[in-house]
Amino acid sequence: MSYDDVVIEDMEWNNELQAFTYPCPYGDLFQITKDELKLGEEIARCPSCSLYITVIYNIEDFSGDNSKTSIEPSKQQPVAVA
Amino acid sequence: AKRFSNRTLKGESFSTKRKQGSLEAEIGVRSMEANERVNEKYTNKKCGAGEQVQRASSAPVTLKTTTSLSSSLLFPPLQQNPSPSSPAVALTPLPSLPLCGCSNEFLIVAGGRVLTWGRGTSGQLGHGDMVNSLNPKPVDALQSFVITHGSAGWNHSGFVSDTGCLFTCGDGSFGQLGHGDYSSRCSPVNVLYFSSRHVEQIVCGMRHSLALLKGNVEDHVYGFGSGKRGQLGTSRDRIQSISLPQITLGLEDNKIASISANGIIVQHYLVRPKDFYQFDINSLPLYASALLISDGHLYIWGRGFGSTTDVYCPHRASVSLTFTQAALGWNHALLLTGDGTVFMLGGNHHGGLSNPQKTILVKHTAEQSNEALVGRIPNLDGIKVLQVAAGAEHSALVTGKNGVIMTWGWGEHGQLGLGNSDDQTSPQ
Repeated sequence: MSYDDVVIEDMEWNNELQAFTYPCPYGDLFQITKDELKLGEEIARCPSCSLYITVIYNIEDFSGDNSKTSIEPSKQQPVAVA
Repeated sequence: AKRFSNRTLKGESFSTKRKQGSLEAEIGVRSMEANERVNEKYTNKKCGAGEQVQRASSAPVTLKTTTSLSSSLLFPPLQQNPSPSSPAVALTPLPSLPLCGCSNEFLIVAGGRVLTWGRGTSGQLGHGDMVNSLNPKPVDALQSFVITHGSAGWNHSGFVSDTGCLFTCGDGSFGQLGHGDYSSRCSPVNVLYFSSRHVEQIVCGMRHSLALLKGNVEDHVYGFGSGKRGQLGTSRDRIQSISLPQITLGLEDNKIASISANGIIVQHYLVRPKDFYQFDINSLPLYASALLISDGHLYIWGRGFGSTTDVYCPHRASVSLTFTQAALGWNHALLLTGDGTVFMLGGNHHGGLSNPQKTILVKHTAEQSNEALVGRIPNLDGIKVLQVAAGAEHSALVTGKNGVIMTWGWGEHGQLGLGNSDDQTSPQ
């Protein structure tokens, strides 16, 4: 059973993992790649446990060229050292 | 496909690292979660019930540290007893207990010093860098302060000094640091918004924070960060996020006396001297709900328990029981009454929770027609419960029977401490 439904806008793009991510209660991240989204995949899995979430998104935003995607992933913010 | 997380802490687990001559700090660790993953090739093997999770510890382990910590520093006596006539709640969590955020960073406040370790890739450890740390390291930036409370959120941390200053660091992309911007910090920075106020406690959630402030007449709860699920309680409408603290609505008339670790546990003193009650507000530090018990009433806001509607500012639920303590998981809450009975709110996932016999005890007020399901915990007949605690998807309690601890809920990662990775639907 899906742990939660999360809209794609609430997920964070992770450059290292090349995937959209969302916190998992285990402490790891639920992950789904752009390719998976393109194929209509809805499940974002956690690599460490059996939990998964359902991703809610518009497939049109991911099909076709990447340049057409209107999804704005969270940007890396500048880090200020106090 | 084999997958492994880049965020795995490489190196030895806490339970195997030893240094000769160092003082050992023995702490019963409730749930090590991802901190126990030592193998970077943690595969995508699904852990079915009964399957041993690789390298995770399913029974409490001894935490060995290399810094010199005497046990007295870790467990100092209770620092405050706000009123001599308050009913004694012997097991209010001490501010120096390790606070385990779901982000796997631990904070220990030992005699006012702060040590952090665990995941630190967002700067949440406050060491001025963005790397993980396997060993507890002092947060040098807070050296000249006496830190009394702290909280570890998903990717950010908060610290409160005895002078009422609030410091935050870590991921700030949702405004959850409260500095008025969406930048991250890798060293604790003073939240200037509160410079003329006295912050008593901070709770850091997944992408938000809640701060408790004490004033001369009134006390307030302020929220900042992501508010999409109403978890800040600051607006009657749905809000995205705020980067400066805003007051949580509907709680303005409360006098809130003290706070304790692992959420905001608030003691509410009524003005009438003969009516001293102790209540708990336990802000869900890791997800998006909040719960306040004041004067026997339940106030709920944020992500709904067992309902699909989020509540954007505190709504009072009418309930005939007097609760003295609460603990929140990601999808459930535990409520403890004065006579030691435990009830559960929500919990349709692992938090306790497949018990089909749920009695509906709580109804929201007229503004919200949703009902929150509150159920009595089975298997506890005749056992008096002294304290409740909750992880993301599991629960724990301390009984009056020789202090026996019972756990239940999601067990896949050994977090129940029962020696296996089975889920449990009732306290064991």
